[in-house]
Amino acid sequence: MSPVTFWYGCNVLRHGDIIHSCLDILRALGFEPAAVGGPDYCCGSVKDVNQGTAGGMATRTVGKLNQRAAPVVAWCPSCHSHMHDFMERANDRHFDITYLVDLLHASRAKLAPLLVQPVPMRVIVHQHVGFNELVPVNRMVPELLRLIPGVDVAEAGYTAPGYMCASFAALPKAMDDINNNTVRAARAAGADAVVTMFHQCYRELVGLDAAGAVPVYNYIQLIARSMGLPYTDDYKAWKRAGMIGPDGIAKVGIEFYERAIVPELKKRPNLR
Amino acid sequence: MNRPAIGGRLKEFQQGEVERILGACTRCGKCYEVCPMAQYAKPPAGNGRSVVPGVLAVLRGEAGSPEALGWIAVCTRSGVCVPACPENVDPKMMMRLARMTALGGRGQAAQIESKQDRDYFDRIRAFARLQLSDGELKDWT
Repeated sequence: MSPVTFWYGCNVLRHGDIIHSCLDILRALGFEPAAVGGPDYCCGSVKDVNQGTAGGMATRTVGKLNQRAAPVVAWCPSCHSHMHDFMERANDRHFDITYLVDLLHASRAKLAPLLVQPVPMRVIVHQHVGFNELVPVNRMVPELLRLIPGVDVAEAGYTAPGYMCASFAALPKAMDDINNNTVRAARAAGADAVVTMFHQCYRELVGLDAAGAVPVYNYIQLIARSMGLPYTDDYKAWKRAGMIGPDGIAKVGIEFYERAIVPELKKRPNLR
Repeated sequence: MNRPAIGGRLKEFQQGEVERILGACTRCGKCYEVCPMAQYAKPPAGNGRSVVPGVLAVLRGEAGSPEALGWIAVCTRSGVCVPACPENVDPKMMMRLARMTALGGRGQAAQIESKQDRDYFDRIRAFARLQLSDGELKDWT
């Protein structure tokens, strides 16, 4: 077993099934992953408004990853690009780093025999123009999906601007265009579902699923399903219901839940 | 004992990039012309040659034109500007640094609105409590 640090990022913590599945997949491929993430491992890319804070966060996180003395496998495209664009330019990085899609793609020969459960589904892959220059995910993710028995990847014929959907939270007209173009692309391709690469896109586009426009998955969820991994997508269930259950509310506190979580779960795309 | 300022090396790197970009950019406007987000900028710019000088002004710590600030505000790091640049300026870095500067993040006065989410990290922590076990919370975060 080869030790690696699985640096999952921050916002993917909405999707425990994705994190747990990634860890199981890495173990099945012969790695020994140690998971790290959350605000204490933030890359600082969300702090454009305060570069003093961003620089401190970057130094802290690079230092903590240095201490782990293992190669890093990044999940989050924001963290991965921020590492290359800024963090490693201003800090001494002592670890190798790769992106999970890159690692899975390089491990296709080991991954393919693990994909035993058929997932009969015609899909389009939701892609952006950005990030692809750092890791060619727009080629690699469809190639990974084609390893899954039953998955038929159709040409989407649509590439969204930006590098992931969460950037568009403050640009509603552009996000409306992405949502509507994605639904049109899925229908034009005769797709059963849209598959996202990044959790930031999944979080936004799962609203299309909740609105009944088109089913949406993350690519890891389809790989996990084909491997027979048992994790359930709580976030999609919460999004569809527009709420979480009473046990969950008790964990986060009713006041915070109503102020900070309910609006996200009830948010629906503006479909034309 | 003199302690290095927090984030000091990041600021040095960014200033070096600003100076490199200011020295290399010829204001040809190709970056704007290929930008898939330009259509969402308010107010819209007439063309790339007219909007890029305003971006460079922001990088110099000066006031940006409304058109430049409008374009900076909608940059979502598509990166198609990078291969379009004939001078290898890295316009994606140019726009990222301009955005940081226009938001007031590099010490200058803010010129575009910052939509700060006061619950950002607490929301992540809340979802972590919903998705991870106590042991995972302790060991992973």
